[in-house]
Amino acid sequence: MARVRNEAAGEWRHAGRSALGMYGNFFYWLFREPFPVRQLGEQIVRVMLDAFSVNIVTSVVIGFILAWTAGWNGLKFSVVNWSGAATVYLLLSEATTMFGGLIFAAKIGTAFTVEIGSMQMSGQLDALRLMAVEPSQHIVIPRVLASVICLVFLNMLSQGVAIVSAMVAVRWWFDVSFTIFLQHVFEILRHPILTTSYIRSALMAFFISVNACGLGFYFNGGAVELGRTTTKSIVLNFIFVISIDCLYGVADQLTGWSAV
Amino acid sequence: MIRIRDVTFAFPQRPVLDGLSLDIEESVTTVVIGRSGIGKSVLLKCITGLLRPQQGSITIDGAEVVGAERKDLLAIRRMTGMLFQEGALFDSMSVHENVAFPLAYHKTFSPAEIARKVDSLLDLVGMREYAHAMPRELSGGMKRKVAVARAMILEPRYLLYDEPTAGLDPSSAAVVEAMIMRLQSTRSITSLVVTHDIDLTRYVANRIALLEDGRIVSLMERAEAFDEGSPVYDHFIENREKIRQENVSEG
Repeated sequence: MARVRNEAAGEWRHAGRSALGMYGNFFYWLFREPFPVRQLGEQIVRVMLDAFSVNIVTSVVIGFILAWTAGWNGLKFSVVNWSGAATVYLLLSEATTMFGGLIFAAKIGTAFTVEIGSMQMSGQLDALRLMAVEPSQHIVIPRVLASVICLVFLNMLSQGVAIVSAMVAVRWWFDVSFTIFLQHVFEILRHPILTTSYIRSALMAFFISVNACGLGFYFNGGAVELGRTTTKSIVLNFIFVISIDCLYGVADQLTGWSAV
Repeated sequence: MIRIRDVTFAFPQRPVLDGLSLDIEESVTTVVIGRSGIGKSVLLKCITGLLRPQQGSITIDGAEVVGAERKDLLAIRRMTGMLFQEGALFDSMSVHENVAFPLAYHKTFSPAEIARKVDSLLDLVGMREYAHAMPRELSGGMKRKVAVARAMILEPRYLLYDEPTAGLDPSSAAVVEAMIMRLQSTRSITSLVVTHDIDLTRYVANRIALLEDGRIVSLMERAEAFDEGSPVYDHFIENREKIRQENVSEG
């Protein structure tokens, strides 16, 4: 039992060191020539294609569920006309960003860990080094930058889709007209809500992708270890996403920057 | 010439190389033979600077590899090409893109020149007709041929092969053996092959070094290596026959 616990602790220490090592590596190589422009373009297309459908489906569902919940509570307190506004506030300030981050960690983060881990396992990273190509520069930097760009864009898209979904839901279930819904939306839709949401998305994407790439990059072992490392990648990134959300939320409340 | 002197390398809980010394002479094929897990691949990684020995010296044409700065290491690596165990082809690129990659990345030549060089190398290894295939569509032997073409595109002086026939069926292994011989005869590249495959050794080696207990215990010409009583014969032929006979007698 103690041995298993020690092994698990050792594996987590290695995971932590891998992620930490990758932060240093990322910033070291970010400003060195040649900048991987073509790879960045390829990764943007790939990440968007991979994450697009699941993000849209999730946004539709979240929009519906939040609108339904807000609507029922609105009915209880006779403020059903405001259910749209409440839904939109929750969607923009919290739900799309947080769920987007979690889905991104599960879908893209794990893909990065497995992909880079198997490249490490099959000697592809060493092959790059022998061709005088630095893998951090060629493999990691494009993935991290593409993640930051794509998650912010996906968040904008999710917010739009979730708002439309909520608008349809409150019209369908609670007979709140589109005009009333939109009036309330514009009343609460202030610039800082959106900005803070996009900053959070960018931070989440950065941490998710660096952690995931780091775990793959410093991976050492066979198929079983790669499976375990991938699980660690998800767990670590979920912790990061939730922590970033909480910390940012607390900071936001204290400063009152995005308060409506 | 590659000169290896007193190289010691250990993983945290396992010593691997222990004062290994070896000279890789120019324009011949040297085979380092040894059992699985004895440190043959580690030796190649030390030579290319992918692993850093704790002690010793490795020079390639006089340039020190151990402790070299990154810039110097890149220059040293351009002198060496390496064939990894499974080929290590990039999965997302076609055969042509794989071979062209080092030149395309460094933008050393125009696209037309790169295409010409790639075609000529694919011709040399007999893979021209698969130029647009993806690595997943190739057999193990084909992958290794493409990997050799990729290793040769930067025109290295030294070619290092890590278990080039491991996991291949006999006919694919024979194709890889023939390719190593062809490269040797047409381009007179200095080759270092690490393997536990005695048939490959018999076919391609000019010189044979036996790796045991982290060091080279015997270095000889091919002609003498397969004489009865030589260390290579004892380790890899007589021993194999003995085990086979014991298994047969145990029924």
